[in-house]
Amino acid sequence: MESADDRADRLLAKRQRVAFRSVWRRPLAVVGLFIVAGWVLAALFAPWIAPYGPLQQTADIYAPPSAEHWFGTDQLGRDVFSRVIHGSRITLPLAVMLVALASVVGSLLGGIAGYLSGLVDEAIMRFADLVFAFPAIILAMAVAAALGPSLRNAVLAVVVVAWPIYARVMRSLVLSAREMEYVLASRLTGASSREALFSEILPNVAGPITVLAMLELGNATLWLAGLSFLGLGAQPPYPEWGAMVASGALAFNRWWVGLFPGLAILSAVLAFNFIGDSFRDTLDPKITRAIR
Amino acid sequence: MAAANLRRFVIRRLVAAVILLVGVTMVTFTLTSLVPSNPLLSLLGEAGMSDPVAVARYREHYRLDDPVPVQYFTYMTNLVQGDLGTSRRTRLPVLDELAKHAPASMELALLATILALTVGVAAGTVAGIFHNRLPDQVIRVISLVGVSMPIFWVALVVFYLARVQFGLMTGTGRLPPGMLPPPTVTGAFSVDAALAGDWRLLRTATAYLLLPALVLSIYAVSLITRFSRSAVLEALGEDFVRTARAKGLSGISVAFRHVLRAALVPITTVSGVVFGVLLSGTVFVESIFAFPGLGQYAYLSAISLDLPAIMGITVFVAMLYIVINFVVDLLYAVIDPRIRLS
Repeated sequence: MESADDRADRLLAKRQRVAFRSVWRRPLAVVGLFIVAGWVLAALFAPWIAPYGPLQQTADIYAPPSAEHWFGTDQLGRDVFSRVIHGSRITLPLAVMLVALASVVGSLLGGIAGYLSGLVDEAIMRFADLVFAFPAIILAMAVAAALGPSLRNAVLAVVVVAWPIYARVMRSLVLSAREMEYVLASRLTGASSREALFSEILPNVAGPITVLAMLELGNATLWLAGLSFLGLGAQPPYPEWGAMVASGALAFNRWWVGLFPGLAILSAVLAFNFIGDSFRDTLDPKITRAIR
Repeated sequence: MAAANLRRFVIRRLVAAVILLVGVTMVTFTLTSLVPSNPLLSLLGEAGMSDPVAVARYREHYRLDDPVPVQYFTYMTNLVQGDLGTSRRTRLPVLDELAKHAPASMELALLATILALTVGVAAGTVAGIFHNRLPDQVIRVISLVGVSMPIFWVALVVFYLARVQFGLMTGTGRLPPGMLPPPTVTGAFSVDAALAGDWRLLRTATAYLLLPALVLSIYAVSLITRFSRSAVLEALGEDFVRTARAKGLSGISVAFRHVLRAALVPITTVSGVVFGVLLSGTVFVESIFAFPGLGQYAYLSAISLDLPAIMGITVFVAMLYIVINFVVDLLYAVIDPRIRLS
């Protein structure tokens, strides 16, 4: 005879399997997962995949693509293919870190706003509106310029502009979760409001926040690469994709210098968006509206 | 729309606008005051920094030794009087610089908005009507590609193709070298050329505007497509659409007379978002196309740490944002009489 707990476990496992399978039924998500897997492999094994070192200079300056240099070489004779491969080690982990930071900061503030309500709520959310309202890149540029151009500061600058969306979604999630019967039930059985927040509410809002973070991963990558393109992020000689497109812009008739790093950004962002967009459909429509 | 309602709405919005402006200036001011030594370094250079007399004179001149709140108060007092300070890079009043650069960007953004709205609403409507069928799927993938493209890269590729492959543009910026701009009325070359009746100039100015505007509109097209699609889907489920269908109206007539009209409301709300997206885009597009607009000015100011200019751009953009959203909200009430201004 199966105990109630076993039965619950079995049903839960089944539900997770179904959810997992349904992702495989979404062709865009599959394409996205494959591209991301490809980039993760490239980042992990970059020194073995790339035929040259990312900073290694040769006498072949601005050599067009050939068998020797698949993507050609740049203004210092560096192999563009090798730099693109190595670039995945900079852009991708930083984008993930950035989204993690922004989602933690935003969710915390939004969670506090939603849970405490009143004046704190007003203050936090009006501030979020303020940042949200502003053209992201102008604010990020001001922050990055003020802090001084470096990759770390570019990440911070993007976090500054990216957190409000998590705060907004988190707040509405907490507001609706607060009214749920299971939360009331836990309060009635003697849990304090803080216990209820951590053991009942937070686990139930983690899913939507994760989907939101996935949707935002593409944007984060674009912002980060954009700041580097403007010279406010990665500094030479680092093989950051946005900075590489910038060096292509300085020699725009050598199309290969800027084309390939840009394609790398496009493929990664597209993959993130394919995955995020496929998961968006699994969300509550009310939350989807809060996101877009 | 009752007059009393409108007045209350305007007053509330004005109060909110002032609060927003104070907030924006405070945030930017605090951020830019965090590193008082950097602007000096970029002004004086390494050599100048080693000269204590020069450093002291600059600190005195820019009042960098005042406490930050005092500096902020000084800035705000000047701001209220229309003085945004002097750009440290160009040594010109920031207000003049803004006046010089804004029209080019407005012209660019306006054309991009028109492009984005036309293409986006059309594509979104088609996608909504063909919900989950082939046209919808194709449009979905295209719009996902649209929001995934780094705009600075698209600008570079388009610039290369136009210039090197097709020999389309001989110069950069707003006009080819040697061509004189029209007499200034609005500052938008295409409008001014039309006003002056110079059709050749109008054609050239528009041609120079078109490529950057196309690039600029890509992200906004995708955004509006997705918004229109869900708005159309929502409208399709409404009772009045079913009724219209039941009355025997044709699909196209229902689409235009009922669905699209209902979908206009959410599409209008997205315009505020689109504006922000376009302004962000100008920074990149203008730097590739050497288009002397606000985006280029913002970029040059940011990399040279021209703090008064950065502050000025921030304030200007915030004000623009407020005005546009105000207009959007008014439009909103005009399109949908059910919405009261509150």
